[in-house]
Amino acid sequence: MPSIGAAADAIAFAPTAQILEDAIASLTRDGERGGGAVDAAVRREALARYAELPVPGTKPGRTWRHDYTKLRFDDLTWSSRRGTLPTAPVRPADVVQSADVMLSLSKHDQPALATENAGGLVHLGATYLAAPQGAAADPRAVVVPLADALREHGAVLAGVHGAIVDWRNDKFAALATAFQNCGAFVYVPDGVVLDAPIQLLFSNVEPQTEAVFPQIVVVLGAGARATVLERHVGEGEPLICGTVEAQVGTGAQLDYVVVQQAGESARLFMHRGARCGRDATVRWHLADLGGTLARSVIDARLDGEGSHGETAAFFFNTGAQHVDLTTTTDHAVGNTTSEVVVRTAATDRGQGRYFGNILIRPKAHGSDASLRDDALLLSKRAHIDSVPALEIAANDVRAFHGATVGSLDEEALFYAQSRGIARADAMRMIALAFFEPAIARFPSEALRDEVRTALDQKLDDATEIDG
Amino acid sequence: MSTRGLVARDLRVAVQGNEILKGIDLTVEPGRVHALMGPNGSGKSTLAFTMAGHPGYEVLSGSVTLDGEELLELPPDKRAKAGLFLSFQYPAAIPGVSVANFLRTARMAVRPDDLTPAKFRQLVFEKLDTLDMDPAFLGRYVNDGFSGGEKKRLEMLQMAILAPKYAILDETDSGLDVDALQAVGNAATALRASEDGKGMGYLVITHYPRILRHLPADVVHVMIDGRIVKTGGPELAEEIEREGYDRIRDEVAGSVA
Repeated sequence: MPSIGAAADAIAFAPTAQILEDAIASLTRDGERGGGAVDAAVRREALARYAELPVPGTKPGRTWRHDYTKLRFDDLTWSSRRGTLPTAPVRPADVVQSADVMLSLSKHDQPALATENAGGLVHLGATYLAAPQGAAADPRAVVVPLADALREHGAVLAGVHGAIVDWRNDKFAALATAFQNCGAFVYVPDGVVLDAPIQLLFSNVEPQTEAVFPQIVVVLGAGARATVLERHVGEGEPLICGTVEAQVGTGAQLDYVVVQQAGESARLFMHRGARCGRDATVRWHLADLGGTLARSVIDARLDGEGSHGETAAFFFNTGAQHVDLTTTTDHAVGNTTSEVVVRTAATDRGQGRYFGNILIRPKAHGSDASLRDDALLLSKRAHIDSVPALEIAANDVRAFHGATVGSLDEEALFYAQSRGIARADAMRMIALAFFEPAIARFPSEALRDEVRTALDQKLDDATEIDG
Repeated sequence: MSTRGLVARDLRVAVQGNEILKGIDLTVEPGRVHALMGPNGSGKSTLAFTMAGHPGYEVLSGSVTLDGEELLELPPDKRAKAGLFLSFQYPAAIPGVSVANFLRTARMAVRPDDLTPAKFRQLVFEKLDTLDMDPAFLGRYVNDGFSGGEKKRLEMLQMAILAPKYAILDETDSGLDVDALQAVGNAATALRASEDGKGMGYLVITHYPRILRHLPADVVHVMIDGRIVKTGGPELAEEIEREGYDRIRDEVAGSVA
């Protein structure tokens, strides 16, 4: 492995005060060689909040295989380091999908980012890997590790980092704040329109069992436009617990894409929130495909008149996967619009929950919100709960909500079969098509094709597909 | 003994325990148009679905063969591969699957590897043109939000592209929609004139004789209460148009009495 600190730097992780003090000491010692970007006092407060806050998402009446109260952190290690890639990851390729690429950097002299023309940051576990050249994002934008941003862009960070995701009221965001050990800062100044996406790649290769606590801050100035792509890949078994906070300036447009293909034993707890200024647009795109347990919270807060929020998200739980997804669209002021399209599916013993919240505040007159979620169950043992909640405190608003839970449409299957398509192929076709309304909103054909391929692969791996 | 044709022999079929078809004997000959007429509830659509292999229909006895090949033991897709096509009265929607993708998948399944993508594209555009259909159709999701006439056109487009040996056109209620009737008539007429389709046999299922003006029948069968009670030439359809089914019903009752 190239110039990454020795394993001796790692601390056996546990969410305790003593371990936090060890972590703080390690960050202080490492200084600029580490990834710390949270003040020690804030870390201590966050850990206290973590301890106080109740375990979310546990409701009586149903036994969930993945119960947050039974979370164990044994075997995880915590560290905060940085290294250097021998060569820049410039070649767009599917290579990044294979875990051994990152593991064997010295053998593969050209590890790659999967998205054409994308520049950005690479993390291996919690270790930031600097690229010597070539993989830089558009020079008009700032894309740096969060720790560097603290030193160089403190004024822009202030009021965003730690201010959009309310870690004081989210147990896992509090944990992420206490133990933050890596992260990224993306700043697109006023009027800058980026053509290529900025890619934030998080790779965890076997046999890593790291505790990775990323915090990502994205700030778009007035009129700026950008696509940020957050990827999780690799066959390691990490705990990834982090936050994403995005401030979208007046008239700016942010597409934030998450393609989560972490290893099958990975656990992920990510809380992502955006705050929109006047006439700003945020579009969240989430493909939660990997991991054994994933908890994703997505907030879109429409703070400026004329702002617009969109969320397109899907998951497909196979094996014993569990995904919890919560989306909250907060119409804080009037004349704001939002659309949420969620597709959830499960087979084998997969389980999932979707909580869809729309909040229209007392003064948000003239708001227009829609939320559409559909669930597809492909085996008898699979289970998905869908819990919509609309809280409307203003007059003269439009709020639409529609939801379905079902299995594959037998009549559609017969129809396809009657055209010569074998039943198994017809099932695949119809099951994949189920996700299209969410996929269609992803911002490029390359990404759409990529997630289609990933879903296709998941169908291959699933043991039960029945109508 | 010739086995050419789509042939039902002593076919008895139940739906949810109720016997609907009570011993059907019927032969659809290659290159000919057979009309199957009868009042509502006589079992016409049951025959269509049974031949196509819908899982909701229980065969009690009998056989259905296509040019000698027994169909009843085959899953629906194998029946399509054997050369059977059912044009649905109410085709199912498949949201998320584009017409283009569906057509290509179906064609590849029925006739693997016989066309390059370019040739396939050419074929599709040719057929679209024949059917007077907008190429924008190809990008839409299969039957999703389609009008009745659009659904019927898509059925005909599929028939033209799959070029089966035998087509069952279930037009039970579409007698009400002139536009749809014309689409069916034009498609079948065009297909019959083409090299691919000249040997095709049709079973046109209808309640009203009107569709037969667009697609004239060579042979007319009348089904009442799960049995074929009468078979004749085109004049039989005219008789039904004039007098309805009552007289045939009376005749049948008389002959049984």
